[in-house]
Amino acid sequence: MAAEFDSVEQFRAVIDRAMELMSEDPEMGPKLRDADVPQRFEFDDVDLVVNTRAAREGEPGNLYWEWSDDVDWEPKVQLTMSSEVANRYFQGKENVPVAIARRRIKAGGDVKSALALIPITKPVYGLYRSMLEAEYPQLVV
Amino acid sequence: MRADNPPGADGGHADEDRLTAADAAERVGASVSTLRRWASLGLFPTHDIANGWGPGAIAQARSLVKLRERGYSIEQLQQATEEGRLVSYSGELVAKVIGERFTLAQAAKQSGLKAAAIEELIAAIGLPSAAIDDIGADDIEMFGYFATAIDAGFPRDALLQAVRVYGQAVSKIADAEVRLVHMHVHEPLLRDGVASSEIAEQMDGITSQLLPLFSPVINHLHRRFLNHFVEQDIVGHMESEPGGGEIGQVRVAIAFADLAGYTQLTEEVGDEEAAGIVERFVANVSQTLPDEARILKTIGDEVMIVCSDAGPLTDWAVGFQILSNERPLPRIGIHYGSVVFRDGDYFGREVNLAARVAARAAAGEVLVTWPVVEMSGRHIEFERIGEVQLKGFTQATELFLADLADESN
Repeated sequence: MAAEFDSVEQFRAVIDRAMELMSEDPEMGPKLRDADVPQRFEFDDVDLVVNTRAAREGEPGNLYWEWSDDVDWEPKVQLTMSSEVANRYFQGKENVPVAIARRRIKAGGDVKSALALIPITKPVYGLYRSMLEAEYPQLVV
Repeated sequence: MRADNPPGADGGHADEDRLTAADAAERVGASVSTLRRWASLGLFPTHDIANGWGPGAIAQARSLVKLRERGYSIEQLQQATEEGRLVSYSGELVAKVIGERFTLAQAAKQSGLKAAAIEELIAAIGLPSAAIDDIGADDIEMFGYFATAIDAGFPRDALLQAVRVYGQAVSKIADAEVRLVHMHVHEPLLRDGVASSEIAEQMDGITSQLLPLFSPVINHLHRRFLNHFVEQDIVGHMESEPGGGEIGQVRVAIAFADLAGYTQLTEEVGDEEAAGIVERFVANVSQTLPDEARILKTIGDEVMIVCSDAGPLTDWAVGFQILSNERPLPRIGIHYGSVVFRDGDYFGREVNLAARVAARAAAGEVLVTWPVVEMSGRHIEFERIGEVQLKGFTQATELFLADLADESN
């Protein structure tokens, strides 16, 4: 059974937490910053877009993101998915190549960079799941 | 046999877990006078022969005997020792060369296995035949475990297969550990011109610190993988037809993936960079495979993958190709069929066929056979290539090019 978000606001709050987990993790954060791959995530069922990039000098954390397409950088990778797939992905329950083949995730741009980010972001699965168990248990899949 | 209180290398007394010069000479296959001469030339660490012959010195003496057999002169060995090229590993790492030795008959009596069975096991493990003459207490304990397994009803043929897999896997681990220490610790010290005494000290320190970590890590990983494969086995039982197939045969999807134009790339960028590209390719495959699939082995830039279900494997292959947009592009071939499972590997016509299918694929393509098409979902589109005569097969094989289906379908 699919775990559903209560609202668009809740989805955005949860994804913000996922971004924070990646940005602040002492292992993942610096690696993502060094990889420097701006990404555009489109969540088509909730009509939201978040653009991410490596934090610049003076910005807190390792990642910076804005819930808008009106940003001063170009995404290198574009990924489109539903809120349900995003929730499964951050829990490590969505295999990216398989999801692309099944059209659960659409990838565009320099997709090779997306492939390179997969091993870097794997630690977020456990952190995200622990966060859900503590704060949003209904979203655990 | 170990002496209770024997004279050591310097004529004194040996500590526990150290051998007399006579016992050491017998253990390494050299005369006492030879060992003493080598010791006087500084070919062994002083601390390892101070009160009897320690495990590090015994292992070092064995290496020296081998080097002498290969024609190296004493002067060459002395020079290599002075330069730090010949250093002994930590005594702890090779400690099992010390200790009581048993004849085959004694080992058979104590372990409960017949002598012939022990010989068969030693051969299956992949140990050199000389291991028959070098049986220690730990070996007998291991033979005892095998005797227990056979008594419990585990088929002898299956046990031998398991033992062959253990031998191959563990020897690969040990080989990699020693090579990695050599390449990343010993060689850099030599390159930096570090004094031989310091090299010996650092090597001893590093190897003695690493040793306690190896076994627990391997045990832990073994448990983790057992859990994974038990789950896979349970799922496989649920999804396969009951009573079908012969014992030792399994129906699996097999994929071969490699990098198109890799040989040419090696010519262009050199071995080191090409090896790095292969390493990233194998890591990408390993990091992205679905749960049901696993890498069985890699040979150069080629990866052999097995999966209980052709559907997810084909999905992965198509998705993986979409994510791989930089030269050298992978090429992937997939086939599904009944194969023989033996010694941890898969054999038979269907495996060969899968390899040939992959060899026909062009860069960026996923080529599959009809059984794979039948098991795949409608989100994948298959373009029929036609009946293709694959090398080594008398009958033509119908091949299909797999890709994402049109969204409108």
